[in-house]
Amino acid sequence: MNFRVLRNARVRRDIKTRETVAATELIRQAYRYITRNEQFPQKIRQQAQLMLNSFPRYARPTAIKNRCVETGRGRGIFRDSRLCRYQFRLKALNGDIPGVKKAVW
Amino acid sequence: MATTPPAKAVINALAKLRAKLFNNVYNPTNVRTGNKVLRQRLIGPTVTNWYPKQLIKVREITDMFPEFKLVNQQEKQRFEDIAKRKRRGKGAPKKGKGKRATISSKKK
Repeated sequence: MNFRVLRNARVRRDIKTRETVAATELIRQAYRYITRNEQFPQKIRQQAQLMLNSFPRYARPTAIKNRCVETGRGRGIFRDSRLCRYQFRLKALNGDIPGVKKAVW
Repeated sequence: MATTPPAKAVINALAKLRAKLFNNVYNPTNVRTGNKVLRQRLIGPTVTNWYPKQLIKVREITDMFPEFKLVNQQEKQRFEDIAKRKRRGKGAPKKGKGKRATISSKKK
């Protein structure tokens, strides 16, 4: 069980973005297909483009930001562990991340 | 022995037949069809799994068993702190009595 508390407002916003993207993705892709298809009449393509613009603010997939699961930091994130570099170091030194070991030579 | 190149119509017919055989789309004028969008995979399921989900909140447990009178220690501490601050006159101001609200009212 995970009782982790949300770290900050940015994480909360990012969660909202992800949920909105997942909810609107299918319809958005359909509109995107219509706008990109040159075989449709120009008017329909323009209407589809307008519909794309009318989606909620957080529906764009590029608005998603991978944040540190532990601290909510937005930079220096390892995708595999979903942690920022410092948390990664702390956990790795602590032995919490399997298969990671400090290099010694 | 010079060979003449095949006519354009023949090449087109060949391309059409080839597309049909290999289940490709015959698109001689390179019109943008938007099939690229349809080919993209949906990212929703992977994208929503980034943050670990909070399975159960303390509030849900305390509400589930009202007969035990469980107390959320963190929340209790928070209320106590607020009461303490209020007693010292450092509590949050009422609506319309804050710093920003008084500035705007003074201007008028």
